[in-house]
Amino acid sequence: MTTVDRAAPPSEPRTRGTRRGRRSRDWVGYLPYLLPGLIAFTVVILIPFGMNIWYSLHKWKGGNAPLRWYGLGNYTDLLADEQFWTSFRNSIAMILAMVVVPTLIGLLLATTLFDVLGKRFGPRVASVLRATYYLPQILPVAVAGVLWNWILNSQTGAVNVVLREIGVANPPNWLGSTDTALPTVMLVLIWIQIGYPVVIFMSALQRVDPELYEAAELDGAGWWHRFRAITIPQIKPETFVITLTCTVAALKVFGPIYVLTRGGPESSTLVPSYYSYLNFFDKSKVGYGAAIANVLTVLIIAIAVVIMVLQARSARREEEGR
Amino acid sequence: MASQRKRYVAGALALALPLALAACGGDSSGGGGGSDGDTLTVWHYENDDSAMGQAWAKAIDIFEDEHPDVTVTVENQTFEQIQKNAKIFLTGDDVPDVMEYNKGNATAGQLASQGLITPLTEEADSRGWADTLPDSIQTTAMYDEQGLMGSGDWYGVPNYGEFVGVYYNQDMLDAAGIAQPTTFDEFEAALATFKAAGITPLAEAGAEYPLGQLWYELVLHYGDRDLIDDYQLFADDVDFQNEAFTQATEKLDEWIKAGYIASDSAALTAEDMGVSFINGTYPIMVSGSWWFGRLVEEIPFTWTQALFPDNTMHPGSSGNLWVVPENAANKDLAYDFIDITLRPEVQEILGQKGGLPVAGDSSAITDEKTKEMTENFESILDEDGLAFYPDWPVPGYYDVIVSELQSLVNQSKSPSEVLDGLSTAYQDGKTDLLEG
Repeated sequence: MTTVDRAAPPSEPRTRGTRRGRRSRDWVGYLPYLLPGLIAFTVVILIPFGMNIWYSLHKWKGGNAPLRWYGLGNYTDLLADEQFWTSFRNSIAMILAMVVVPTLIGLLLATTLFDVLGKRFGPRVASVLRATYYLPQILPVAVAGVLWNWILNSQTGAVNVVLREIGVANPPNWLGSTDTALPTVMLVLIWIQIGYPVVIFMSALQRVDPELYEAAELDGAGWWHRFRAITIPQIKPETFVITLTCTVAALKVFGPIYVLTRGGPESSTLVPSYYSYLNFFDKSKVGYGAAIANVLTVLIIAIAVVIMVLQARSARREEEGR
Repeated sequence: MASQRKRYVAGALALALPLALAACGGDSSGGGGGSDGDTLTVWHYENDDSAMGQAWAKAIDIFEDEHPDVTVTVENQTFEQIQKNAKIFLTGDDVPDVMEYNKGNATAGQLASQGLITPLTEEADSRGWADTLPDSIQTTAMYDEQGLMGSGDWYGVPNYGEFVGVYYNQDMLDAAGIAQPTTFDEFEAALATFKAAGITPLAEAGAEYPLGQLWYELVLHYGDRDLIDDYQLFADDVDFQNEAFTQATEKLDEWIKAGYIASDSAALTAEDMGVSFINGTYPIMVSGSWWFGRLVEEIPFTWTQALFPDNTMHPGSSGNLWVVPENAANKDLAYDFIDITLRPEVQEILGQKGGLPVAGDSSAITDEKTKEMTENFESILDEDGLAFYPDWPVPGYYDVIVSELQSLVNQSKSPSEVLDGLSTAYQDGKTDLLEG
């Protein structure tokens, strides 16, 4: 390895130079193809984000009402706003329910489907089950939310009717009590989320070279050892993708909360995006709502960057290791 | 060379595509007619079968007769769509000439203070709307510069009214040997009798408006008109720890503790409440006249509607308003249309269908139940007894009331803590409103 490194330098500058030259000409040629994305990015993301920052520096009711300069006042107000902090605390619960638990269960389900069911009952059974797990992802969240609301209704919902039938005198008030509302919402989110890691992990498992498993098996490694030494490292890129996309989704979750609880009861299931919406639209405190959205945006970007840096580092380490 | 040209064509296409998409977006949002004076675009969100839907269809017929050269376009929207998006779409040019909008400080008042809807005072005077409409109905039509109702310019015109009363399941009252309560004490005694017989008396819902309205009925029971003017119209400062608010909140707490309201109703919706009254689970429902049509249609047992016993003021108001967007193209046609909706022919349809007309006459109503309800409403108007709704004073207060009263149902807060929560949000909202 060291010899290769030492041999490389003399030829390196020349190749790099010519490559750079070719690249700069190509760049001009590709420019028109980049334009649509660039325009869409500017129109859909950059301009609204800029406007949002501008709004967040004002007190504004919206519409044709005058904007009144407020500087960083909205942001300092946020620091003292208990509901704002509650909403971010609940974000941690959302990450647990949309990232951590689904990824772990998803990994378990995917390996079970792939290793056990797929091999014993054929690929068709495995793909039918995989599709079943994915179904909640396809269902519009509004529909799923309304259904869960019916099922969890404290008086007439299926769950409590069944519980009463089997003799539970006071079944939990699932979405109505501050003690159970957040855990209940988390359960629904896990149900919604689980199909996504299952599908990604199953395709990842198909990508893993079977020879690795055969070699390990010949060396006498059991299922658990193969899982830890081969499966987990091999599917690391997919794990990063799932973690990144799901974390972003968990931080900006809105639909399920809007349909299930609207942040209630007693603000116990408030999340940042819903709180921002509440201020922006219902309370006509546009500047304040914009400030919440900006804090959320910065936080999401920061967390996404951290995850991507970790991913790049782990990928580099893997390449160096080989 | 050829490939070069292709590249530029692709680039041009790429540039043009988003523009084309944007153009499509602009077209498909539809709505506004030209400023040519030969179209009238009306947006509303009432069902065609409802009293309002039928009355307004008649109004459009009359309008078309009187303006043979004008095409009327009616676009059905949803309440939520207009409620949430009005302040966005009204800043554009693609707006209707006249539209239905929710009334109150937090809604029409906001649009008025944002300069998005047209002042109608001149029309109200010259066309006589100011004389036609009863006083407590006019309160919700006028807004000042800060968007507070009750004074300032006219910004909207209501056609119909609504109020909250008590619906009784007469069969269940009879079975329990209870006469329909006429005083507050009798009402409480009836609740106790039902509870003693193992029946939870009140149909309630903590996740939406119903519980807040019951709480407000109690505030109105203990309070007076001055308190309501302070609370709703900011005539003076409100002390939430004063007698009326404290007594009302403690009474509600007492009822919850006594089991007059189901302890698991915190997350129930208004729909859940209505259904449980209709299917005979609970004998008493305190709620609004908007249930009337549905109850007539679906209830199999004998039922009655009455005012909340002993109260001289009742939650209620004018119905939604006709407003004219500032950017409307054909404002004069819009004024003509609004004027037509207040005519006796149109108001009579409202009355016959149980829509509680604001410029009508209950004596012409043929259906007994409709007549009973309309007379209840007229008696409130005669006493100037409309006290609006508890969530009206400040924007976003609805969620606060829902959340605080959920704490009461769940018994996670004391009445005093609930009042503190209500007070803080009220004062903050009021400060925001007054600062503009």
